Amino acid sequence: MNGFNLHRAYSIARKEVMHILRDPFTLALALGLPVMLVTFFGYAIDYEVKGITLAVSDQDGGPAARRLKEMFSSSGYFLPVEAVPGSGPVAMLDSGRASAALFIEPEFSKKIMGGGAVQAQFVLDGSDNAKGAAVVGYLPGIQRAAQARLAGQALREPFSFETRFLYNPELNSRWFTVPGLAAIIIGLLAILLTALTVAREWENGSMELLLSTPVRPLEIMVGKLAPYGALVLAGVFFVYLVARLVFGVPFAGSHLLYLAACLLFITAALSQGLFISVVTRQQQVAMQLGMITGLLPSMLLSGFIFPVESMPKFFQYFTMILPPRWFMAAARGITLKGADLGELAVPFLALGLLSAGMLALALIKFKTDLE
Amino acid sequence: MKRTLLAFIRKELIQTLRDVRMRVLLFGAPVIQLTIFGLALSTEIKNINLAVISGPGDAMFGRVAEGFYASGWFKRVIYGSEAPFELIASGRADAVLIAPAGGLARSAARGDGRMQLLVDATNLTKARAVEAYARNIISAAAAREYGARAEPALKFDVRVLYNPAMESSMFLVPGVMGMLVCLITIILTAMSLAREREVGTFETIVSAPLSDAEVLLGKTVPYVLLGVMDAALVVAAGYLIFGVPVRGPLWQLALASLALVITTVSIGTFISTIARNQQQAMLGGFMFLFPAILMSGIMYPVENMPGAIIAAAYLDPLMYFVRLLRNIMLKGGDLHVLWTNLGALALMALVAAGAAYKRFKQTLN
Repeated sequence: MNGFNLHRAYSIARKEVMHILRDPFTLALALGLPVMLVTFFGYAIDYEVKGITLAVSDQDGGPAARRLKEMFSSSGYFLPVEAVPGSGPVAMLDSGRASAALFIEPEFSKKIMGGGAVQAQFVLDGSDNAKGAAVVGYLPGIQRAAQARLAGQALREPFSFETRFLYNPELNSRWFTVPGLAAIIIGLLAILLTALTVAREWENGSMELLLSTPVRPLEIMVGKLAPYGALVLAGVFFVYLVARLVFGVPFAGSHLLYLAACLLFITAALSQGLFISVVTRQQQVAMQLGMITGLLPSMLLSGFIFPVESMPKFFQYFTMILPPRWFMAAARGITLKGADLGELAVPFLALGLLSAGMLALALIKFKTDLE
Repeated sequence: MKRTLLAFIRKELIQTLRDVRMRVLLFGAPVIQLTIFGLALSTEIKNINLAVISGPGDAMFGRVAEGFYASGWFKRVIYGSEAPFELIASGRADAVLIAPAGGLARSAARGDGRMQLLVDATNLTKARAVEAYARNIISAAAAREYGARAEPALKFDVRVLYNPAMESSMFLVPGVMGMLVCLITIILTAMSLAREREVGTFETIVSAPLSDAEVLLGKTVPYVLLGVMDAALVVAAGYLIFGVPVRGPLWQLALASLALVITTVSIGTFISTIARNQQQAMLGGFMFLFPAILMSGIMYPVENMPGAIIAAAYLDPLMYFVRLLRNIMLKGGDLHVLWTNLGALALMALVAAGAAYKRFKQTLN
């Protein structure tokens, strides 16, 4: 009677698989969400900011001013528009009709073509930081081009530098975002789906029924979680296929190592989902808790968009207890850098410890709650 | 009839808020999340690990490297005998700056003072920031070493409006606020109605002496109220904790929040009429939410997306809301922006509410 019986766990798993298959709509949504996400990040998100509307107030009207405007538009990043007379460029920033404004003073052409130094005021809409930082980054390029074409001589640069971007030489946005998506998908599906299914069993009383059978708690747990683990893994595999085949994201490292990272993170996430369901026993509360402790940290605190190293000291330590942070480090390291286990020892160790801890926590809570 | 409706709304409110955990999750969690995300997230890239490699006695290169560390964005990497590539491959350095052979001063005098900057581009945002920082630091160093000769003739005097220090919280708090309100209202509404169907209490409500419209109002008005309260709470938290200003009038903010919440609650209701259980309702909610959040401009500028996505973004209520929030809170509320975006949002609320009512009636019969 004691001990773990694989056969009984298998029966529970079969029952759970039937539950999932009987509800094709849920299955379709669970597999459709990863595909939707990867398509979106693949097609829509580009970190290179382009098409910045630039309101120009040209009080000079000379040839150099005209050439400066041309330079902005031929850079490919800016769309210069003449400021509406009367209201002025700043009013256009106020109403959101322009993202930046350029003021060219009278005498601009005369001064710069005569070899003098000139200033042009550049005003930026600071209400959108994502755009603002990029726009400022484009200015030195324009400055250098202006030197050659307006002042007539190339800027004498005593020294300069040459950048080599390793692992993603063309700075392709997809190579950056798509490999990290697995973390979001696991954080969403593994945590929320398990939390909800098990909470539902508590809600409608079928958990008591299951417990009165000779199946042991550990067997119930394994039986219930394994099918969801497989479902989530299928979602990750979908993302992998789309990333490789549609978006041509490279995979430099070992697939086996990647699978290991996925399995560790999925274990942690499923355990977290189970823990939430035992604590809440109600689907709505379970969903809210799952979102706060699972999905949002996976999206925002894992380094997916905002680098962990840029966070304040406290959060650099705090995020250490979040499995998605370590998974993200491992996933990006394996796919783009081709890092081996030795180089990823820290993320793997942390991921292993956290998932073991999470599993133990869920198990203990599950068992004590039954007694 | 009016009294039964009021009683019904009250019952729904009590039912939702009866659970202590639900009260905490509904009112405490958004404030805590806003605080965590506001403190933790930053669009400014910092703490970049930089290693510098040069020959012995290259004083000018040493001064250039000091410029990097003095900027506050870079951290020094101490290394042994590793090659530059190894430093990046092992993750110990994010970037490596390498001096030209024979020393910087000598090669600069020859006219080819080219340093090499190796950047780990696995993290794109970091890689871009490193290059932009390096450009500024190195041209400042050149001006320092060689004086006016190395200064460009055209200078840009850059001024940043509305958020001069480019503080991340000013940018992120309005966005995160829209996201939280949207997440809570859509999924909560969708799940609460799906739950009634699951448990079977839906029939009881339908058999009560209430018209279809009253049943719908009774079920949705409480969530509209909760959503607006959450919005107010998050704005207050942003103001008190992060000093995110509310430069425009409050009534504009209230109108915008109300229009958004009516839209999202209607969408939640619509999803619940399709979903047969709470799981489906939740997944359906996310199917709507993910694109809505990504297309809203909270994290990624909308203008930068492909044409088809921009067109789709015009159907995204959250995009209008985020525009309104940033305009009202940071820019002080431009009337043209207010009425066009609020109009679009109100139209959307009307359509969504109408569609939800129609679907709701169908499922009742």
